[in-house]
Amino acid sequence: MDATVPDHRADRSFASPSDAELTRLVADLGVALGPDRARSDPLELALYARDAGVASGRAAAVCFPRTTAEVAAAVQTARRHGRPFLGRGSGTGLAGGATPVDDPVVIVTTQMNRVLEVDVDERFAWVEPGVLNLDLTRAVAHLGLHYAPDPSSQQACSIGGNVATNAGGPHCLLYGTTQAHVLAAEVVLPDGTVTVLGGLSPDQPGYDLRGVFVGSEGTMGIATRIAVRLMPDPPALRTLLLDFTDVDAAAATVSGIIADGLVPAALEMMDADITRMVEDFVGAGYPRDAAAVLLVEVDGLTHGVDDAIEIIRRVGTANGARTVRVAADATERNLLWKGRKSAFGAIARIAPNYYLHDTVVPRTRLVEVLRGVYAIADEQRIKVLNVFHAGDGNLHPLLVFDGREPGVMERVHAAGDAIIELSLSVGGVLSGEHGIGLEKRAYMRSQFSPDDLHVQAGMRDAFDPDGFSNPHKVLPAGSRCGDVQSLPEGVWV
Amino acid sequence: MTALDSVPTTQRPMGVAPQGPLDISDDDLVSCVACGLCLPHCPTYRVTGLETSSPRGRIAAMRAVQFGGAPIDTVFERYMEECIQCRGCEAACPSQVPYGRLIEGARQALHERRSHDRRRRRRLAEWLGYTVILPRHRLVIAATWLLGLGQRLRLVPRRLVPRGVALPLVSLTELRHPLQPTAPTAPSGASSGGPSTGNPTNAFDAVLFTGCVMDAWQRGTHRSAITVMESTGAMVGLPGPGGDCCGALHVHAGRTAEARRLAERVIASMPGDAPIVVDSAGCGAALKDYGHLLGSPEARAFSERVHDFAEWLAPRVDRLAVRDTHERVVVADPCHLRHVQRQTTPVRSILAASHRTVDTDDDGLCCGAGGAYNALQPDLALAARERKIAALQRAAGGAALTDFRVVSANPGCLMHLMAAGVRAVHPADLLAEALDPEHPRWPRDAIRPEPSRHPGSTP
Amino acid sequence: MTRVGAVAPALSAAEVAERAREIAASIGSSHGPVVAVGAQTHWEVGGPVPDLEEALVVRAPSGIVAYDPAELTITCGAGTPVAMLDATLAEAGQECPLDPADPAATVGGVLMAGLSGRRRLRWGPLRERLLEARFVTGDGRIVKGGGPTVKNVTGFDVCRLLVGSLGTLGVAVQVTLRCQPRQSVALWTVGPTGVSAADVRRRLFNPSCVASDTQGVHVLFEGHADDIDAELAVSGCTPVVAGPIGPQGPWRGRISVPVTALRAVVDGLDGLDGLDGLGALATSMVPAAGDGVTVAWLAEWGVGTVHVASLSAEGLLAARALAQAHGGWLLREAGRLGPAGPDGAGPSGVGLDDGFGVGLPDPQIQRRLKMAFDPAGRLNPGRIPL
Ligand SMILES: Cc1cc2nc3c(=O)[nH]c(=O)nc-3n(C[C@H](O)[C@H](O)[C@H](O)COP(=O)(O)OP(=O)(O)OC[C@H]3O[C@@H](n4cnc5c(N)ncnc54)[C@H](O)[C@@H]3O)c2cc1C
Ligand SMILES: Cc1cc2nc3c(=O)[nH]c(=O)nc-3n(C[C@H](O)[C@H](O)[C@H](O)COP(=O)(O)OP(=O)(O)OC[C@H]3O[C@@H](n4cnc5c(N)ncnc54)[C@H](O)[C@@H]3O)c2cc1C
Ligand code: SF4
Ligand code: SF4
Ligand code: SF4
Repeated sequence: MDATVPDHRADRSFASPSDAELTRLVADLGVALGPDRARSDPLELALYARDAGVASGRAAAVCFPRTTAEVAAAVQTARRHGRPFLGRGSGTGLAGGATPVDDPVVIVTTQMNRVLEVDVDERFAWVEPGVLNLDLTRAVAHLGLHYAPDPSSQQACSIGGNVATNAGGPHCLLYGTTQAHVLAAEVVLPDGTVTVLGGLSPDQPGYDLRGVFVGSEGTMGIATRIAVRLMPDPPALRTLLLDFTDVDAAAATVSGIIADGLVPAALEMMDADITRMVEDFVGAGYPRDAAAVLLVEVDGLTHGVDDAIEIIRRVGTANGARTVRVAADATERNLLWKGRKSAFGAIARIAPNYYLHDTVVPRTRLVEVLRGVYAIADEQRIKVLNVFHAGDGNLHPLLVFDGREPGVMERVHAAGDAIIELSLSVGGVLSGEHGIGLEKRAYMRSQFSPDDLHVQAGMRDAFDPDGFSNPHKVLPAGSRCGDVQSLPEGVWV
Repeated sequence: MTALDSVPTTQRPMGVAPQGPLDISDDDLVSCVACGLCLPHCPTYRVTGLETSSPRGRIAAMRAVQFGGAPIDTVFERYMEECIQCRGCEAACPSQVPYGRLIEGARQALHERRSHDRRRRRRLAEWLGYTVILPRHRLVIAATWLLGLGQRLRLVPRRLVPRGVALPLVSLTELRHPLQPTAPTAPSGASSGGPSTGNPTNAFDAVLFTGCVMDAWQRGTHRSAITVMESTGAMVGLPGPGGDCCGALHVHAGRTAEARRLAERVIASMPGDAPIVVDSAGCGAALKDYGHLLGSPEARAFSERVHDFAEWLAPRVDRLAVRDTHERVVVADPCHLRHVQRQTTPVRSILAASHRTVDTDDDGLCCGAGGAYNALQPDLALAARERKIAALQRAAGGAALTDFRVVSANPGCLMHLMAAGVRAVHPADLLAEALDPEHPRWPRDAIRPEPSRHPGSTP
Repeated sequence: MTRVGAVAPALSAAEVAERAREIAASIGSSHGPVVAVGAQTHWEVGGPVPDLEEALVVRAPSGIVAYDPAELTITCGAGTPVAMLDATLAEAGQECPLDPADPAATVGGVLMAGLSGRRRLRWGPLRERLLEARFVTGDGRIVKGGGPTVKNVTGFDVCRLLVGSLGTLGVAVQVTLRCQPRQSVALWTVGPTGVSAADVRRRLFNPSCVASDTQGVHVLFEGHADDIDAELAVSGCTPVVAGPIGPQGPWRGRISVPVTALRAVVDGLDGLDGLDGLGALATSMVPAAGDGVTVAWLAEWGVGTVHVASLSAEGLLAARALAQAHGGWLLREAGRLGPAGPDGAGPSGVGLDDGFGVGLPDPQIQRRLKMAFDPAGRLNPGRIPL
């Protein structure tokens, strides 16, 4: 049976280039893009060695194309020199997706940041990949439209990065993740040719290539133009803050609300420590003594929204909410959200390092999983904070620590392993929105069988038969043979 | 095996506590988690898209030097010098990374290194500027007067000034008329009174810090500020000798020792406990930072007394008799007010009765002025300004630049914007225009004691 | 709600696993074509009809494996009839808007055909519904794609690939679908005369469907009764019939055009009138089941789908040419062409058996994808012609 299967190149490795090879590579990139847009100063390369995750690698060169043709030229140049390449947006990824492994050419999209076209009637926009998520929403706000996927990093992350990671956010509970908002993507394929996946028509003949590309973490080429859906601003919008003296009660409220037939626009939870921390940062009026708070948003037409508020109030109170506060105005609402969206960043006030997991569990199992997470952290003597998309069961246990403490990394990893094992054991998945990248690929085998990984490797090969695009990402090494997984050579954690 | 030995690491090696060449705290340096949330708030990143001109990149470069053995070379120097020090990143950072401290530390290291190998002419020019002229009030005035004269006589060659860079159009008349503090009057006195001299004492309700460049270039604004303050019934004093230069530019340039000396002089020039009002956001930020710069209890007490003009005026605004001009003005918060002093509401509330203020949608992104920055890094400064102007026009509903005014409380920003044709104006000037001349000024009586910033404390 | 009938039986995970092993084993022990069969309500789509005599015919199991309303997900055998799935969900006040034309269709068949229902404008395309699939590949591997939770980005998106793959990548055995609360009121209305569909849509926040045909504009509202009243007032629409099933026709082709070209295509279809009597069709055709009206084309605004019917293959070919001229394409949908005669037979689909009528985009990638799942090309040969 295996004889008919093409060789998998997804885990192909590339040898380090010699200095002379590097010089020629950079010179050629300079010819393709202009000398100041292809760079290789060691200090500059060091700044592109990682994203917002933990692992750090090394780039051969970094370049800044401004057009699709320039991206294609960069890809072709890299290939001609036998070097892999890697697309990079804002570098806010949390899984090491943009960490360069095997000395690739890093192709940065930050200078491709124009909103090219906005169609108000048909509610879509064509944008370049470097447009920042929040900038897009701001650019269309005066038209009564917005871009729905709103990762907490939305002020900084790029649409291209969002597409590559299928980014989610609080409001994806009702509106779906990036996948549901990408109509088409112009892509420079790993062979350097340009195509458009998907389109403005509802269906495409053949397989849904667009759907496969979204979430492929840069392993299937580089998006150079993206058509995204825009959503009309809802006529009514209310944000509620529920405050609990008990984490279990908050978690029970989450499944209670959904079971009651309501899908809020967003349903977020923060535990005691994180609530206090963000309150210190934004002063939004979060109760500093709460064991947990829920931030709930409902939107739509007025009567439906009013009904929804009543449901939330009823379910919350029945589960022991201490207070249910409805934000009075836009200022109060924005402050509450600013608090929620600052949460990850704010943790450095507790300790200088963090490791973030991103598992999803069935929401009816939230209570027990949360208890388990706290117990695991206790056992490993690591502090854990929980701030997460409770509505879709997407946990974000943040393990915070000071890396200078000897032996702490082992305990952090042990806690992470245990949390993942627990999440999968209740029927959950490894990653809800941050992706697998480099850092979580070791865990892929706990969710997928060798056969599962085999077809995924085949999907990657279909786009990138020679393995040039962002090597060593997503799939564990040797996706068919089940060998022991480790970080590829040359990567520092 | 891939050799990584030659690659500077941007990360702190785990389990080691190294001591690097930059005079900055390791704890400060490691507090950045590289989340990137600051990126969009950085004007230089916004216009270049380069990690090297972003706060996260600059911090990573500092780490590479501090922990990874990377050299302090011209590349590193360029990354540091391209920073406007607007501290938009610091305000945006949820981890509260003290970026201001970091960049000042890095600049200081660069300054020390530069003292050895900078080209002599540049060093001479810097010395002339920072050490000779700025701290000497009369010299700034004289230099300005020469500049103004030169401009009129077309003696300042265009090519010496990078295109579009701000140069003040100095009013020579203004310079001939020194500022006057409020004359001492009878307790119920409501007249403007004649000039009086001498050190500020507790007889004054507030002291207006005049600074060096501001006083030379925008003395009219000081006049407006005094008029407006007096209209609330306050007696306004001026600093005594030595209160010339706040030292902000010196801090930014890494000339910390000189900055400390200037700070001590400024403190000495304004004894007593009257609030110190500053109508230049940059100077205000510097004065508020003396506590940290000098680290002494006196300096901390002094910094406590410092208020931005709008911050001082806001709780007293009801005493102002202004006309409603119905004019729409776009607010361009100076970085030193928004990101450093974190004062954004006061300027909007003091203008509420007389003007319709409109905000930009760019989270107060820096306009690129940055003290001396626009002269030192003209390309980035101009690109940042272009972005700012687009935001201002969006806020004004797409109006032409000539059709609306922009309000900003920092002389650097005002000049930088005006040089591009923006009708930029200081809030004190706007208010002075809108004062109702018919209406009597608020009686002084009513404002002593000074409204307290800490409710409950007795004067 | 009109579809509530018998609920689906329970199905144990062990039974599903056993069935998957059987299918894998039968694929492993045979060599010819493998054809998955649902309810055969959509049998002619996407290429020539397979010869079942020659093929290994496989059927997915039917029944509910897991359903907890608080999860808003349901796991069932891929052979479960949509009507049964719907009835099961309705008991808990939920639904999964698969909306096949014929509720006898199986969940697996609907997903594999990949044609979204009439409510796509509001609830999104069919491909957003499939969270996890367990299937057997052409080389007999039992594979799981996706994950059972509503949110998941672990690994590459196998589920998006399966939806619309017409059984050419694997035989779906078990699927997990994302559900949603059933809206308390669903109401089909007709728009005010003289107002274009695009204008009606602009007046509304989130209608479930805005469609137009030769007779006017049809709008589906779902939600809170008071909100719908308000929206009716704003839009000037008049209620026609309750329930989510709207205008019906014996559709024979589905045009997919860029949303920006929909107006031009609709105008063009109007123009075809004289050519082959599409307009006449509206009156001559036997009304389909349900309370709807019979029309010759129905355009979904904001989506870009146009359902068309014709008395002849030539009519559909003309419609296809029109679609292609505007950057779209026409997929021949299920059923024989033209109205069924007394014996159920009708004109054959001459010229339309070629699946999509246009070349596939990026055929190399498509071919390699097919190879990854079905290296010997045994699954539904001829469908999705590559
Ligand atoms: C504080 C914080 C909060 C966050 N919150 C969320 C959240 O709520 N939800 C969420 O989903 N994520 C969140 N993230 C993660 C991160 O912001 C997202 O993954 C985001 O989509 C990454 O975008 P980026 O532009 O930074 O991409 P990068 O980090 O630069 O790249 C991410 C991946 O995308 C690839 N890539 C980038 N651009 C392209 C392109 N044009 N074409 C092809 N591939 C490309 C890269 O190769 C890499 O694999 C958060 C991160 C931080 C630091
Ligand atoms: C007039 C008309 C209008 C339609 N409109 C809509 C609509 O609005 N919305 C909508 O969603 N659908 C619509 N459809 C499509 C139709 O409802 C479904 O495609 C169809 O129901 C498929 O279900 P089935 O069980 O009958 O599949 P079948 O007709 O038996 O098979 C269809 C295809 O799927 C494959 N297949 C079936 N089961 C499996 C399996 N378990 N694993 C792998 N492959 C399998 C078959 O091999 C075949 O290629 C319409 C169909 C018609 C005739
Ligand atoms: S400075 Fe702050 S906001 Fe910027 S990357 Fe570091 S931690 Fe994040
Ligand atoms: S101070 Fe201003 S210019 Fe410097 S890094 Fe921070 S935001 Fe950028
Ligand atoms: S900050 Fe103020 S006092 Fe200092 S140099 Fe500038 S204007 Fe003069």
